[in-house]
Amino acid sequence: MMDPGIAGASDLLRQAKEIFQHDAAALEVVNELEGRLEGPLRIAVAGMVKAGKSTLLNAIIGEEIAPTDAGECTRIVTWYRYGHTPRITLHPILGEPQALPVTRKDGRLVFNLGDVRAEDVERLVVDWPAASLRDLTLIDTPGIASLSQDVSERSTEFLLPEDAPMAADAVIYLMRHLHASDVRFLESFKDTAAGQSGTVNALAVLSRADEIGAGRIDSLISAAVIADRYSRDQNLRPLALGVVPVAGLLAQSSRTMRQTDFEAMKVLARMDRNQRERLMLSADLFVRATGPAGLGQDAKASLVQKFGLFGIRLGVALIRGGISNPTELAHELARRSGLGQLLDNIASLFQTRADALKARAAVVGLEALLRGSPRDVALLLEANLERLKAGAHEFRELKLLATLRTEGLGLTPELSAEAERLVGGRGSTPPLRLGLDPAATLEQISETARSHLNRWRVIAENPLTEPAALDACRIVLRSCEGMLAAIPAVR
Amino acid sequence: MAETGHMSTLVEQGMALVGDRNDLRRRLENTLNRLGDPSVRVIVVGEFKQGKSQLINALVNAPVCPVDDDIATSVPTVVRQGDPASAVVLVPGQHSSAPALEGETGGGESGLERQPVQLDQLAEYVSEKGNPGNTKNIVAAEVSLPRKLLAGGLTIVDSPGVGGLGSTHTLTTLTALPSAHAMVFVSDASQEYTEPEMRFLRQAMRISPNVMCVLSKTDLYPSWHQIAELDQRHLAGVGPDIPLFPVSSELRLHAARLQDPELNTESGFPALIGHLRNNIVGGAARMQRRSVSNDLLSVTENLRLALQSELEALENPAGTPQMIAGLNAAKEDADSLRKRSARWQITLNDGIGDLIADMEYDLRDRLRRIQREAETAIDQGDPGPAWEQFTQWLEQSTAAAVSDTFVWTSERAQWLATQVAEHFSEDEVALPALKVANTGGVLDPVADIQEMKDGRLGPLQKMLIGMRGSYGGVLMFGLLTGLFGMALINPLSVGAGLMLGRKAYREDKEARLKQRQSEAKILVRKHVDDVVFQVGKQLKDRLRLVQRATRDHFTEIAEEHHRSLTESVAAAQKAAATYAVERDMRIKEIRNQLKAVDALAKAAQQLPQDPPAGARASTAPQATPQATPAPQATTETSAVPAG
Repeated sequence: MMDPGIAGASDLLRQAKEIFQHDAAALEVVNELEGRLEGPLRIAVAGMVKAGKSTLLNAIIGEEIAPTDAGECTRIVTWYRYGHTPRITLHPILGEPQALPVTRKDGRLVFNLGDVRAEDVERLVVDWPAASLRDLTLIDTPGIASLSQDVSERSTEFLLPEDAPMAADAVIYLMRHLHASDVRFLESFKDTAAGQSGTVNALAVLSRADEIGAGRIDSLISAAVIADRYSRDQNLRPLALGVVPVAGLLAQSSRTMRQTDFEAMKVLARMDRNQRERLMLSADLFVRATGPAGLGQDAKASLVQKFGLFGIRLGVALIRGGISNPTELAHELARRSGLGQLLDNIASLFQTRADALKARAAVVGLEALLRGSPRDVALLLEANLERLKAGAHEFRELKLLATLRTEGLGLTPELSAEAERLVGGRGSTPPLRLGLDPAATLEQISETARSHLNRWRVIAENPLTEPAALDACRIVLRSCEGMLAAIPAVR
Repeated sequence: MAETGHMSTLVEQGMALVGDRNDLRRRLENTLNRLGDPSVRVIVVGEFKQGKSQLINALVNAPVCPVDDDIATSVPTVVRQGDPASAVVLVPGQHSSAPALEGETGGGESGLERQPVQLDQLAEYVSEKGNPGNTKNIVAAEVSLPRKLLAGGLTIVDSPGVGGLGSTHTLTTLTALPSAHAMVFVSDASQEYTEPEMRFLRQAMRISPNVMCVLSKTDLYPSWHQIAELDQRHLAGVGPDIPLFPVSSELRLHAARLQDPELNTESGFPALIGHLRNNIVGGAARMQRRSVSNDLLSVTENLRLALQSELEALENPAGTPQMIAGLNAAKEDADSLRKRSARWQITLNDGIGDLIADMEYDLRDRLRRIQREAETAIDQGDPGPAWEQFTQWLEQSTAAAVSDTFVWTSERAQWLATQVAEHFSEDEVALPALKVANTGGVLDPVADIQEMKDGRLGPLQKMLIGMRGSYGGVLMFGLLTGLFGMALINPLSVGAGLMLGRKAYREDKEARLKQRQSEAKILVRKHVDDVVFQVGKQLKDRLRLVQRATRDHFTEIAEEHHRSLTESVAAAQKAAATYAVERDMRIKEIRNQLKAVDALAKAAQQLPQDPPAGARASTAPQATPQATPAPQATTETSAVPAG
């Protein structure tokens, strides 16, 4: 599908540059918006304090670089983006950005702020040569509902700015259980970001999923059940596109697993079952107890720190089930941790429509800029901006998606669900929209799209359909047509 | 229960000594009643999914509270001593002739029906899964278990977790707090305390200051030492000397299964149980001893005064007039305390008046803020479709506001009582037990918010509205075009009809939205009015009750004192007129009586100091005044100012 949205947005920005060529401050804003349009999608990782934000971020990056700790750890908004050489830049609220030395302790970065206080730092930017950051910029935020007020405030300020578009295009929201603070935050998130841009762009993650069932081997299954319940929760539905259970620690460690970890698990797997269970009653006991032979206390401590009791249990069970090499084990652990599902969701929900999300951010940014500009200058751009906003099909899709999730349109529940899917509520590739297998052939896609098209045409022409629903029908029809048009002629 | 027996005997001795002094006898009877009710309620609170139910299961080593990976507990569960093991659920009774009522479980639970259930089926009643959103309308569940830990009268209450989406849970928990002796605050070792947790802890501590904290699930988290340290630091900011116990329920349950004492020690439970026994149950017992001892001492003081004056008058007839004069002066003092114009009475009356005014203002202010918020929300959109969620929000926020006002009022009432006590006398005077903060049932008389039509129209209605508009259009243009020789129904007139019909429909829609908005606002206003009216009345009633309780309490003390003095004067006067022979006999009699009184006073004095070594677990105490059913009944410690 062609992208009139992003093309229109970059056109607009070019016009804006011409108009504002004498206004240095405005030009800077426009340049920044342009950079945003060209750069990778920005996803913020947010959540209550100690929800496992940095751990999940490490898992997505595939390297343990973000510092994590048992106590509250992240205190400054930190950006992780792709760069050829590792580099850390500190952006203070006032003054010029300054480079920080890149130091690592046990693989993790150490942010040595020098004589700058954390309160005076707007953000840290980490450039890192990791493949996964090429088309994704990740933003780590301090936890909300923290006991140190200013830390929470910093996070809220970043995620819910009062007078500017949010710096992130989408948000992954981590929660351990649906706490009242979570809902409150997501609600205010919707009020600002979506109020301006008209979409739902948060994905909820049920984090630390391995701890939900007290580390039992079936923990992730109950986590999946709970996540499913939350995704149907009427409080959460209008606020997030979906709920994915992820065992963050397991995901992080499986991506950074070493041969020694595998050997240690093999030793454990060879132990007598009763003895092993007795050993793994508690983390303390596991580290303190002597044995099994060939596994020192330090090794055990590092193992339990890295994988948690659940991770060790699962690893041992998998080895006993016949997995014999570390790569395979790491793969299996990553798969079971739910990271794969999360990455799939990020890809289908955010990355496939990255252009639309970015263009929308640019449009919102430009609008904010125009609001503060002299009337005669603003007039020149406003008409074009308005035309783009109303005309670009992607924007209308995003808007419809939000409406469907929040208010509903007087369609039957089944039709609402179908409309949501067709405009890309589950992901925006044609098979996902049509509810087909990802490997569906072009014929199948074309046939299903056609049948949907006909069905919705009938609904659209029914005189009893409500006016609001009629608009929705038109957008759905346009989406179906778009899918058909994108298929190379197969007749 | 050797110690309870000992105390009962002492009280009975006292009752034998008081003779015809009915006022003193009544006080001792109250003491005896309190001794007969052994129960120490410990309530387990915390956010959801922190392992509260599992903690109780591990404490009593039986799966009494349902545990689940998802939110489990929806109804408070009371676990107490009882043989054989059994369970009942409490539901609101339909017929008032409920046979077995028990007023002790939560204070003022009249009209509750007890339904026995199978112990293994309890989960169907108290868990979120078996009873989603408490549709079975269960007030509480009670489990009786034969356990050594519970034998001392310890009653453990499992509460639904707070902080979830149903903020009604928070209210339920806060409501249960005033009747508890102590509170166990549970948080798991995965992270340090969060801001909502600390906020809840602060709020709860205003109602029940006796708190201990438990760090649960230490088996799962290798870094719990660090978390414990951080938590301790946070706790130090809330209040001094709040103990923190890291425990692992899983380990304890394993230890019980394997009969492994080492594992049990590892679980951290012995320290927790030790604290429960020594400090909570033991503390309650100490308080009980102190209160019994104080009651006894005050009774003996009163008795001695009369005896002593008579004795002195007998032994030293010359000084009698002087003594009588002194006694009379004291009597007058005591008398002035009884009068309405006494300073403490004025303080009390003024204070209650102020309190009622402030309380009303506070309540109105809070509710007005909610109303304003609600009206803004209504103005922003169509209230029809979201009415159900909206009413839910409205009910929850009013409930929260009301409970805030109650807590605040209760604090002020306590403060007022101390103020009155200060004016009453220089000596330390016991305060009456005031129970205002219990919000259970205050919102019951408030009618439910009415339903509203969601504003959806059927196709027929829509057509009618459209037709009504289009009719005029067709006619108008049809007649007009009729002038040019066209039929009444022609394309032009139909087109005009369609246009006007649409316009009419749209206008009608707007008008209906406006109407719905104003209707919703009226409903909100009505609800808030209703709440102010009903809750205000209840609060006023309770404050009047407080006033009456306080007045009766202090008047009774003044009266007792006055009567003792009157009797002393009478005895002294009588003594002056006694013959010599009788005098010697009377002196002997009085000496004997005094000896008995002194012995009792001495025994009473020793009570608080010596916790008998053998009675650690078997103390049967009942301590803080809050727990006694009626506020008026608690006239516990009172040192009478000796004339």
